[in-house]
Amino acid sequence: MTVQSAKEFKTARRPRRRLSASLVITVIATSVLVLLAILAIFADWIAPYDPLKQNLIEALQSPSAAHWLGTDDLGRDVLSRLIHGCRIAVIAAAEATTIAVLLGVPIGLFIGYRGGWWDWVVMRTVEAIVSIPGIMVAIVIIAILGAGLHKAMIALGILYSTSFLRLARGVVLAEREEVYVRSARVIGASDGRILLRHIFPNIAPPLIVQVTLTVGAVLLSEAGLSFIGLGVQPPDASWGTMLNTAAAFMDLNWFLAIPPGIAIIVTVLSVNLLGDVIRDAVGRGIVVGVKPQTPAARFETFASVAADSPLPPRREDEVLRVEGLQVMVSSREGNEVPIITDLSLAIAKGETLGLVGESGSGKTLTGLAILGLMGAGVRTTHGSITLNGRELSSLTEKQMEKVRGNEVAMVFQDPTTSLNPAFTVGSQIAEVLLTKKGVSKKEAWERVVELIHRVGIPRPEERARAYPHELSGGMAQRVAIARALSCNPSLLIADEPTTALDVTVQQEILDLFRDLQEEFGMAMLFVTHDLAVAADVCDRISVMYAGEMVEMAPVDALFANPRHPYTRGLLRAMPHASDRNPPLPTIRGNVPRPGFWPAGCRFSNRCDFRIAACDTRVPLVGTDRLARCVRAGELAMEVAS
Amino acid sequence: MLRLIFQRLLALVPLLFIVSVLTFSFTSLLPSDPVDLIIGDTGTQEQYEIVRERLGMNEPVVVRYFQWLGRAVQGDLGTSFFNSVSVTGAVMQRLPVTLSLTAVSALIAIVVGIAAGIAAALRPRSWVDRFATLGATFGQAVPNFWFGLILVAFFAVNLRWFPATGLTPISASPWEWLRSVTLPAVALGLSASAAIARQVRSAMVGVLQQDYIRAARAQGLPARRVLFRHALTNAMVPVVAVLSFQITVLLGGSLIVEQVFAINGLGTLAITAVRQQDIPMIQGLVLVMVALVVIVQLATDVMYGLLNPKARPS
Repeated sequence: MTVQSAKEFKTARRPRRRLSASLVITVIATSVLVLLAILAIFADWIAPYDPLKQNLIEALQSPSAAHWLGTDDLGRDVLSRLIHGCRIAVIAAAEATTIAVLLGVPIGLFIGYRGGWWDWVVMRTVEAIVSIPGIMVAIVIIAILGAGLHKAMIALGILYSTSFLRLARGVVLAEREEVYVRSARVIGASDGRILLRHIFPNIAPPLIVQVTLTVGAVLLSEAGLSFIGLGVQPPDASWGTMLNTAAAFMDLNWFLAIPPGIAIIVTVLSVNLLGDVIRDAVGRGIVVGVKPQTPAARFETFASVAADSPLPPRREDEVLRVEGLQVMVSSREGNEVPIITDLSLAIAKGETLGLVGESGSGKTLTGLAILGLMGAGVRTTHGSITLNGRELSSLTEKQMEKVRGNEVAMVFQDPTTSLNPAFTVGSQIAEVLLTKKGVSKKEAWERVVELIHRVGIPRPEERARAYPHELSGGMAQRVAIARALSCNPSLLIADEPTTALDVTVQQEILDLFRDLQEEFGMAMLFVTHDLAVAADVCDRISVMYAGEMVEMAPVDALFANPRHPYTRGLLRAMPHASDRNPPLPTIRGNVPRPGFWPAGCRFSNRCDFRIAACDTRVPLVGTDRLARCVRAGELAMEVAS
Repeated sequence: MLRLIFQRLLALVPLLFIVSVLTFSFTSLLPSDPVDLIIGDTGTQEQYEIVRERLGMNEPVVVRYFQWLGRAVQGDLGTSFFNSVSVTGAVMQRLPVTLSLTAVSALIAIVVGIAAGIAAALRPRSWVDRFATLGATFGQAVPNFWFGLILVAFFAVNLRWFPATGLTPISASPWEWLRSVTLPAVALGLSASAAIARQVRSAMVGVLQQDYIRAARAQGLPARRVLFRHALTNAMVPVVAVLSFQITVLLGGSLIVEQVFAINGLGTLAITAVRQQDIPMIQGLVLVMVALVVIVQLATDVMYGLLNPKARPS
């Protein structure tokens, strides 16, 4: 799909910038934590005063040259206490996290590996503990052990061990049945050896992430517990106890609350940011700059392509007319790359035009361009789209909303994803009728049932109340078709409507499209990669390649006498039921990504008939049928002979 | 839907049972002898034996557990060792205070979190998104009690817009209640708003890329309707799944934030009980909190079922 390739195109350039942004965060966060460690280790030397030395004469002073951060209620130097608080923070984080890991991981490994009764009992206990607010669990454990830094950290260690336990158990459950573990068991490795040598290494990446999360949480919890007097006990200086003091003197000297608060925030923020970076790196594999696709030697650099395609002849009963359409997608660097160029086509009432090509040729995007729904970063730069005689580019978004559904509707590829999973299918059709037609609820519902019946679904009243996940793919696609037709649009765009369905269902849906077209008389733009499907429902076929039309002809003529080598390739790649034995010929290579199209004929790097003239731009030529190939005439003769 | 509620209720029975066993056995590990606590230093051996008999301490632990459980099921959580008040009474008296604080902060967290999350998701990588993401990361690093102190310093001490301490009951004066609950609720709700905003953003970004959003737009439904009805309903599914956890965290956080604002709620009760080794009070508090968490879980489960038809039992 073109939309998808546009997305790929964008992501391909992302890693470099991402890497640099995360690098800055990593460097800053790491520096903060290194500074914290240095202050913690050398607190006795760095701190200007003894953190416990009282001086009641100098109590509650504001910052000064002697006391950079002022003094507290007992005249102790705030800066010195803050520096000594770093030590407590480091000890607290290390202690609680170590206890959590040493307690949680072995138990998790054990119950995950043994399973059965052990697993059940431990997991129910963990669930019970988790359902009590964490701080309450810590308080209860402190009630048993008593208050104080180390006891409080044991309490937090026990509390946070539950997350390590669940993590280790999850990894074991995932790895236990892996082939390499089973083969180790087969060759007679002991359980202990399997756990240690084969399963344990898999825990490392998520374990590191969990450790960073836990360290942040421990720092906040320790501060909280010390603040309510159940953690570090006065007179020892921890950031939590300093805040406890500050709370009592908020109206006299509010500044006391600032230094310890900032210290906590900066530390926790650094740990969390580092954790985010690590999680991203673990989740995506280590980030490496993706090497961009090397551009073709003579790669198209111009921003726009001169419209030189012949315009389709005007007809009385014309519904849709597209002239010289050009669509650009913006890349990460900020420049724009063409994704559809010089596309002109017209569809008359009751007519079906097939839009055929490989993924990435721009078919789907053409449909979305007509609807004006191409998404962010994609825009129409040239050309006009006329629907029922009205130029769409001149309409406001509000007017466009009116046009969608009423004059043009679209059926998408995968019915299971194009229907909203949260609502019943009937209500989704009714919603369209209610908002677009302004009918009463009762009328809307009657019409919904009628429509669902019309698209060949038995027991329509009952099915209207079903949720999308309760319907089969074929059934859901019928509902999507019913919704698209609910307002009687004059143009229906069908985007690969049978691709996601079972082969047996495909034919039924194609038949339904033909029947409905006969009944409703709408024009159809039928997007597909499958020429056999196109042959079934279309009157004319337009073949697209790399954002442009390369051939257009009535169905029979196209099949009998393809003029473009690409069309020939597609036709030859069609499987025939009769001859199964010869290997299916394929077209070598892939559709080049936008921005990497060869100059001249865009198919030239995959073409078997390439000559020197192919290196300059090839126009689309012809009258009743069109082809964009310098050797079109020759090839036509070759097939005919 | 009734069926879903019934299923969940049934699943709660073993959970509550295990919590009660845990609570009872953990508090039995308390180092102090409750009898000593009650009779004090001056008690005689005779008094000691009498009190011990009255507390049923001579019975085996298992028997004591079932006696306690039997009474707890009937709403009798025992009597405090200290002032002989009933635990149920003491807890019920403080419960509305903690509940109103937690509920208001949850409301703030949900409203702010959803609004910020949607704003950020609508234009990924825009300045709104960057600001919201930065704010969310920052908000999760701020201790709630410290934020409370700062709010007091600024809005209560300095500007005098709100009272610095206490919580007026809503029954006494709804207006005063609102004034007194605002600062603690904002302080408490900050980090939960941040967590919810992150959740909503990532869920919303994912949902907005879904086919059914484009299909609804292709059908000509107004952009606003597609956003708030089609996208938000689906984006709320993963958010609701973590909501009960967030509310549990808020309930725990309220115990500490209460101290900043000198609010006499469950937190103050719990801290006093721990200092005094008041076993029945600690047991009762844990059970009541678990009951609250369980009710919240039940509510979010039902909400989850309403939002996500696939989660309903057929």
